[in-house]
Amino acid sequence: MSALKIKDLHVSVEGKEILKGINLEIKEGETVALLGPNGHGKSTLFNAIMGHPRYTVTKGSIYLDDVDVLSLSVDERAKAGLFLGMQLPAEVPGVINSDFLRAAVNVRQERPVSTYNFYKLLDNAIKKMKMPFDLATRSLNEGFSGGEKKRNEILQMLLLNPKIAMLDEIDSGLDVDALQVVGEVIKEEQAKGMGFLVISHYARLFDLIQPTRAIVIINGRVAIDGDSSVIKRIDTEGYEFIKTELGIDIEKEDGEMNKVSIGTCAVKESIK
Amino acid sequence: MERVTFDKLNNIEKGLRTNSFVIASGTIDKVFNLENGDYDILIKDLNKDQKIVINVLEGSTAKISFFANNELNNLDVDVNCYRNSEANVWFADFSKDKNVVNVSIYLKEEGAAANFHLASLTSKQDDKVFNISAKHEAKNTYAKVDNYGVCKDSGKLIFDGVSHILNKCVQSKTYQNAKIMVFDKACNAIAKPILKIDENDIAANHAAVVGKVNDEHLFYLTSRGLSEAQAKEVITFGYLKPILEGFIDEDVKEEISKLIEGRM
Repeated sequence: MSALKIKDLHVSVEGKEILKGINLEIKEGETVALLGPNGHGKSTLFNAIMGHPRYTVTKGSIYLDDVDVLSLSVDERAKAGLFLGMQLPAEVPGVINSDFLRAAVNVRQERPVSTYNFYKLLDNAIKKMKMPFDLATRSLNEGFSGGEKKRNEILQMLLLNPKIAMLDEIDSGLDVDALQVVGEVIKEEQAKGMGFLVISHYARLFDLIQPTRAIVIINGRVAIDGDSSVIKRIDTEGYEFIKTELGIDIEKEDGEMNKVSIGTCAVKESIK
Repeated sequence: MERVTFDKLNNIEKGLRTNSFVIASGTIDKVFNLENGDYDILIKDLNKDQKIVINVLEGSTAKISFFANNELNNLDVDVNCYRNSEANVWFADFSKDKNVVNVSIYLKEEGAAANFHLASLTSKQDDKVFNISAKHEAKNTYAKVDNYGVCKDSGKLIFDGVSHILNKCVQSKTYQNAKIMVFDKACNAIAKPILKIDENDIAANHAAVVGKVNDEHLFYLTSRGLSEAQAKEVITFGYLKPILEGFIDEDVKEEISKLIEGRM
């Protein structure tokens, strides 16, 4: 059985340390709920595991079984069995969803899957996700609604069949029916042994998928690693009890405004 | 649509037959008069240094698709659009070496409209300049210019051109969009769409972007298992592929697809 082991992970973004020593282990077949206030490092953890170039690991280790994940490129991590269902999936103009999915499926095969077999695979997954088939023939995520993008993430998860799937706010943008569909699909994959790390701010998704554990990240560290009862508590009480009971001060998000660049007519020449 | 070869085309004295699909190649250097109908013209295998004039006459529509896959040097194209006519010009540029392409669209009479789409792949030592201009000489005219380019190796690619609305050409609309995706440090890419507006009651905009492959796109595709090289190829293909819409000839479509894949 596969396991993802994270030890003393420190991660910086643009020189600022976000994760300050995360220790975490998740096995295939487990479903771990990842909670914590905004800006405390949940998404940073996912991006660092997947290898996003903006996130710099300054200390610590990540192993998937005996494979040193940090030594792998992003695509190698994906092929090793990691999957990140993104909070804001990129819109890639001109890249047809099904062409991309087929390329992604094929990199995992010794011999490319035949057109017929791929469409059978795709058709099954699309039916499972209750998506209209035309989404597969459109540009990747371009013009998709928030809910369609999230369903498309789960569709990719189904086709790529990872060992550990990290789902970052996969429930945001989903209506009640779509959430039910996503919940059912996750349950099916749980039964087959896929491991899940799931970020959500709402108990509704967790009610559907019944996590085996819950982890709360505060100030870039794991503050609580316990059973799923903590989800209900956070849902009703918020994070305040962590301060009163565990004595951890919850750092506020930076008040600094996002840097906004106003569109300009000027020509940008990045490389000359 | 009936296909007419260029040789046959030369024998047609009073303009082209309507509703015909024409393939023109070699040295064209001539004036096309398109009247009373819909035209689809494919111009390919162009010889060096020539001037082509296309007159889209009253009420006609024309799709004019250029496919450049060898050396072009200097190519001048004038497209004159008359009353209530529409010209859709597609330019798939996979030419090599040094060239200057000037396309001038003249919206000569009321209700004339033109769309221009360019996809250029510039690599190695290529040195290319595209001057794509639209001149609104009558009221209620429309022009949209979309220039897309990919620049690799030590290639040099310049998108230039002026969209000009003359005085009294009220209710005219003109749009220009120039984007170049840059792959290597030695590339030289410049996009400078210019608007000249001499009338108030109009609509116009222009945009220019020169930049490398979007990191978020690259991360997204690689996080699904595509290597960086594969991801870049997929992104480039997606970026240039809309040009295929401008070609109905399957052989040409296939050739363009292969050229994109081959040169990446």
